[in-house]
Amino acid sequence: MSKQTTNLAQLVYSHPASNSMINVQDAQGSSDSEDSDGELFYVKGERKKKLSEKPGYDDIDADDCSKLLNAQFKDWSNEDLIRSIRKRFRAGGGA
Amino acid sequence: MEKTSYMRFKGSRHFRQRLLLSTLSHRAIIVEEIRSNETPPGLRSYEISLLRLIEKISDDCKVEINETGTKLKYKPGVLMGGRNLVHDCGLGRSIGYFLEPLVVLGLRGKKPLSIRLKGITNDPKDPSVDTYRHTTFHILERFGVPKEGLQLKIESRGSPPLGGGEILLGVPSLPSFSAITWIDEGRVKRIRGVTFTTKVSADFDHRMMYATRGVFNRLLPDVRIEKDHRSEPNAGRSKGYGLSLVAETDSGCFISADVVICYPKVDEMETFDDSEEKPQLLPPEDVGIQAASILLGEIEQGGVVDSTHQGLLFLLCALCPEDFSKVRVGKLTPYGIETLRHVRDFLGVTFIFEPDPATNTIILKCRGSGLPNLSRRIS
Repeated sequence: MSKQTTNLAQLVYSHPASNSMINVQDAQGSSDSEDSDGELFYVKGERKKKLSEKPGYDDIDADDCSKLLNAQFKDWSNEDLIRSIRKRFRAGGGA
Repeated sequence: MEKTSYMRFKGSRHFRQRLLLSTLSHRAIIVEEIRSNETPPGLRSYEISLLRLIEKISDDCKVEINETGTKLKYKPGVLMGGRNLVHDCGLGRSIGYFLEPLVVLGLRGKKPLSIRLKGITNDPKDPSVDTYRHTTFHILERFGVPKEGLQLKIESRGSPPLGGGEILLGVPSLPSFSAITWIDEGRVKRIRGVTFTTKVSADFDHRMMYATRGVFNRLLPDVRIEKDHRSEPNAGRSKGYGLSLVAETDSGCFISADVVICYPKVDEMETFDDSEEKPQLLPPEDVGIQAASILLGEIEQGGVVDSTHQGLLFLLCALCPEDFSKVRVGKLTPYGIETLRHVRDFLGVTFIFEPDPATNTIILKCRGSGLPNLSRRIS
């Protein structure tokens, strides 16, 4: 359990890109900015493709959205699923 | 005057919280390399609009943007609040995008804030104005915000791409938040919701509502969904429909889900002049089922707030006086994690994580920054 705790703290605070400010991120961001010196111009679509390949945490221009946009949802017509969530509803609530 | 020291950031990500935290903690920031590799580069119109909005509610703040818009220098002023303000949010992002920082900034103002916001009320990307009324405000109340002061009236709805919506927002000025222990999700006792339609048949409302009820029927009887059909002149300028749901638990938690369907831009539509080639849009029944499924997914995940409100929850805990807060969430979202990092950088607040394997949730603890409402101090 304590191991899990440190893992989470690490994920949030010690990830290479975890420092929202510049100094630490430089290590990661520098290769990106140097690359772009060579190719000043991007084909619009190409750049987009590149962006989508990047994981969200490292993209300094990631979209500013609090909502999970690619939220997956399950098929709740499945009886087993409904049964599994019933405990989260007030007893007697189930029709 | 002494020299200003700036905190430096790169890129456009987390733009709103950087501005928000900079303003609240009164620390100037420089953001560089904003979309420097994109065409066009730099700040987008909605980000500029947000800066203008912050200028409207504060005294003496300084905004400097370079020619290409890739570099921003921002020096916060004093949050004043104010009455009868008006702001056009434009059409780049919906009103929900602006509300997220604005509501917190408003609470930290010297005087209460009342403002009319124009633009898009419901869109797929940001929490809808309905979610603010029925979920976000309840979360704020937990932290000591008086119910009476918070107001959001939807005067007209506006769907993307052309908007035309208008809301009236009222936010009280709060001396400080109160720290909380909030770890009991409770069990869902009722589901509420509102469907909306702009410039489409009112029949859509009924179809969305009916499909949603069908999903919840097997779980609980107390499901009530209102219909908000808008026609001229309160329907804005574009067609759209959608549904906003909230599950209320017996321990006072509110979990939200939004689904919004909008039609493509008019000029794109005009290319199919023969109108046979209509764009594929999710039918109202599927919108109902999808919203219900997202809501059930949020409930299943656990936590006292839904995934959309994690950032706000952490932020409020960090803004509390120097007391301990303890909250439970489901899986951490990328936005939530980013918020935790920024809260540490601006306020020096670090959270402690305690995973609860029995429920697959996480308990987060922190000691509030004790940051006072700076605006109220200066008289």
